[in-house]
Amino acid sequence: MQVHYTDVLCMGAGLAGERVAVEAAQAGYNVICLSVVPPRRSHSSAAQGGMQAALGNSIMGDGDTPEIHFNDTVKGSDWGCDQEVARLFANNAPIAMREMAYLGVPWNRVEPGENTYFKGGKPFQATEKSENAGLIHSRAFGGTAKWRTCYTSDGTGHAVLFTLDNRMLQLGVEVHDRMQAEALIHDGERCMGVIARNLRTGELEAYIARATLIATGGFGRIYKATTNAVICDGGGQITALDTGVVPLGNMEAVQFHPTGTVPTDILVTEGCRGDGGTLLDVDEYRFMPDYEPEKAELASRDVVSRRMTEHMRKGKGVKSPYGDHLWLDIRHLGEKHITTNLREVYDICTRFLGVNPIHQLIPVRPTQHYSMGGVRVNKDGHAYGLKGLFAAGEAACWDMHGFNRLGGNSLAETVVAGGIVGKKIVEFLEGDSMTVRTDAVEDAAKGVRARIDKLAKGTGDDCYTLRNEMQDTMMEYVGIFRNGKDLQTGVDKLRELLERSKNMRLTGKGLKGQNGELSMALRVPGMIRLALCVAYGALQRTESRGAHAREDYPERNDRDWLKRTLATWKEGDSLPTLNYEDATPFFILPPGDRGYGGGKIIPGKEVTEAERVPYEKTDA
Amino acid sequence: MGRELTFEIFRYNPAQPDIEPRMQTYTLEETPSMTLFIALNKIREEQDPTLQFDFCCRAGICGSCGMVINGVPGLACHTQTKDLPDKITLHPLPVFKLLGDLSVDTGVWFRNVGGKIESWIHTKKKFDPEAQEERMDNALANQIFELDRCVECGCCVAACGTARMREDFIGATAINRLARFYIDPRDNRDAADFYDLIGDDNGVFGCMGLLACDNVCPKQIPLHDQLGIMRRMATVESVKAIIPDFIRKKLTGCKSVKA
Amino acid sequence: MNPRTPAEIRSRLDFWQAFSGALLAVFVCCHLILEGSVVISPVVTDFIGDWMEKIYVAQIVAPVILALILFHFWIAARKMPFRKGELTIFTQHSMALKDVDTALWIVQVFTAIVILFGAFFHVYGVMSQMPLTVEKSHIRLHEGWILFYTVFLPCTILHTGIGMYRIGVKYGLISKARRKIWRAIIWIGMGCYLILGCCALTRVWFY
Repeated sequence: MQVHYTDVLCMGAGLAGERVAVEAAQAGYNVICLSVVPPRRSHSSAAQGGMQAALGNSIMGDGDTPEIHFNDTVKGSDWGCDQEVARLFANNAPIAMREMAYLGVPWNRVEPGENTYFKGGKPFQATEKSENAGLIHSRAFGGTAKWRTCYTSDGTGHAVLFTLDNRMLQLGVEVHDRMQAEALIHDGERCMGVIARNLRTGELEAYIARATLIATGGFGRIYKATTNAVICDGGGQITALDTGVVPLGNMEAVQFHPTGTVPTDILVTEGCRGDGGTLLDVDEYRFMPDYEPEKAELASRDVVSRRMTEHMRKGKGVKSPYGDHLWLDIRHLGEKHITTNLREVYDICTRFLGVNPIHQLIPVRPTQHYSMGGVRVNKDGHAYGLKGLFAAGEAACWDMHGFNRLGGNSLAETVVAGGIVGKKIVEFLEGDSMTVRTDAVEDAAKGVRARIDKLAKGTGDDCYTLRNEMQDTMMEYVGIFRNGKDLQTGVDKLRELLERSKNMRLTGKGLKGQNGELSMALRVPGMIRLALCVAYGALQRTESRGAHAREDYPERNDRDWLKRTLATWKEGDSLPTLNYEDATPFFILPPGDRGYGGGKIIPGKEVTEAERVPYEKTDA
Repeated sequence: MGRELTFEIFRYNPAQPDIEPRMQTYTLEETPSMTLFIALNKIREEQDPTLQFDFCCRAGICGSCGMVINGVPGLACHTQTKDLPDKITLHPLPVFKLLGDLSVDTGVWFRNVGGKIESWIHTKKKFDPEAQEERMDNALANQIFELDRCVECGCCVAACGTARMREDFIGATAINRLARFYIDPRDNRDAADFYDLIGDDNGVFGCMGLLACDNVCPKQIPLHDQLGIMRRMATVESVKAIIPDFIRKKLTGCKSVKA
Repeated sequence: MNPRTPAEIRSRLDFWQAFSGALLAVFVCCHLILEGSVVISPVVTDFIGDWMEKIYVAQIVAPVILALILFHFWIAARKMPFRKGELTIFTQHSMALKDVDTALWIVQVFTAIVILFGAFFHVYGVMSQMPLTVEKSHIRLHEGWILFYTVFLPCTILHTGIGMYRIGVKYGLISKARRKIWRAIIWIGMGCYLILGCCALTRVWFY
């Protein structure tokens, strides 16, 4: 087995992974990035919208401050976030954006003078200040008091990722692509690197590192309908969970988007509905006003998603070879509007669906979009339970998103958290020494090898069948609308799948080198465990908060549930062990009403003076 | 009932060299809105788990799934079967190292070429966290982004006759990438520096104006216009000693902010 | 001072290729128009020929052009598919791609070789029988040169037209937006020259 030694090992080379790698490499440390795809293909590149940072350069963002950004973030999280972390994030976001500009990101800039913008589909005029000409501009995103989302046209993630990857090239950071991390090397106290499978050769390789970072993105692929890339299977979270000592935080917090297209689950923007698009059912009947007489299609993301699911459950969905869906109708907006203001939507429909939205209906369904949960880390990005293990980005539960993340906050998190965690890793390395325990390396490698050997001998289901059943179970029972009965069914089914996965078989025997089926087969049991963390966590959480919506417990319960779920997995168990911790170490913004989304709140005990902290106290 | 599609797919696994490269046939019933992403996954999951190919974002953004579709390089994820005939022939992208069946190593190729052209901002300035960002004209920012849109799928390289014959040719994508830095005022390199990087037959002079790069680019980047600008820059730079400066300056004719 | 000395000459080859090509293109265009004057009347052509000989333009231009052709070929040959396997790779590539611009490059290579040899025969045939008259050309055509010209003329026109288009594209003078228009202009231009050439040949044949 080939063994590589490095100071820092980044699992994942998306925005968060690369940002950390850059920080460590700049400090003179040796860094290796592992990635299942070439780094520029990471799913970060698909993020189109932008990054939230309170620069306040644009006229619609005039007067913006990190504190306002912080407030939006906490409200968005439905008070589920760690307020210390949210403040750290809000304070550092503007600097991170400027740093990206310095590295070469072509942010869109303020054009002084009168500009035409859109709000709720209607154009209006606003005059940009001449003294701000050429500074980073911002656009509107949902749930924010100010226009604060920095962007580069419709390819923010792409532009920032390429810029960071250029920086990696400049610093000479090694990237080992087509490497799938399978297990962490650890002794229960200290993480020492990973065992990875080379996807080119099929061989196992050991990476010994003093600091290991998990930055593998989300785990959307445990759902059938997800906007996530096919590589977003939670690989990093699985390795953390498999240690038995590292907890995953708030796994039940999963965000859905109402209008993912069918069959390929590519998002079409909320702008469609904002501009007057309507949702139709199998009879081409507009059903949303029946459920939400006032707001209809313009209710919040989670509400629309839930109503759509409810309606499909009544048998009003459109049957298709790819499952049920509904229609999005924008035909009445006219050709001109569709090909200019909604050009992106037009492109997606014509290119990927073969549907012309000027004359035809667009097939849509609520689609998994983002995982707020992940490897639970402290504010430095250091994972709970294992020294030397860090996590950042969507893979982590750093926890600035709580139970609902705002658009533009996740992409910003990658570079902000990446920068902070990178610095903390450097600090950690400075005062650290590590003895490599060869037995730990051997154990980890043996474990992975045993899994591969077992697959070769398996006689049960193939990996695709198990994966599909898991995805269907998640959609059906642990989707947007949750209730005790369904969740229990979901948990039961997943436990059964986990049992069956022990006898999984490979259908393509003896394939050498690249082997897509084996890669998937190695992932499936872990994905089922992640799914169980989500389902079981959701079952236990008897309240509705942010994206976690229980029909049987519709209130947000601050009395009992102002806390974070921590899921660990003891070896041999068929369920995760759940523990809980306080959502936040202190309150800058005490729990209150979000101001949107409605819903009742069961208030918790009054926040005491001792628990309160003013925002001004800087921590950056 | 949809059409019955016949897929002729190139098969070869370099890890098993005893099995000769061959074409294998699969049939599949077409479903509405079917893309090659859906079709290939269906084939792998239902008919042949050994079939190798790459997909990632499946939304035309990441550039993973470049392959030769009925002779023409393109992204499989945004190719709809309804636009193709009953028989669909798939080959891996040429030029790049074959990893198995339809999967090729574009990652290493692009990393090497990125290193060759030093694809990063060259500046002596240090980042100052306290300072406001440097100003930039929005039109210029848009212009830079237009060149930055390349997803490095490799289709332009696979479609390039020069790249097919001469493996050291850096391709339209790399020259386009460099053009992005050429117009970026944050990059301190001047024409002579860029000329040093691409002023030879492996660089911009290798291009024979075959235009296929332009025709196949899934992002519709005007690659050849950039090649033209960079070639003019390099040519004018190459004749520095033989043509008087005042004529040379007129010949460049491209808008570099640094000029 | 400048570290790139040996590469310097090599990197100028592209410039010389385009420059010599452009000169040759200008020459071909002028030459064909002057020859085409026979369509109006052989008298005009004879007059022009006579005048050019008197001021020694013909005697000077012919060897210079030959040298230029050699020079142009020598430089451009570095791009030609002469190395092992290259021609096969390119041909297969072009056939699979079904891309006109790529296919035209093979035409360019083929016509280049025809022109390289053809130009020598052409110049030898003409110059060995000075002075230049339509009558002599008439005799030569009937001696069998007509076959030579039915190949040489279209090859020259194609190579010139495609070459000019390529220079425009390669140096960014023909942008993507205007490519279609220019392609049409070039094809129409080539068509006109071909018609002119054929008319001239016919006229000389029936002199």
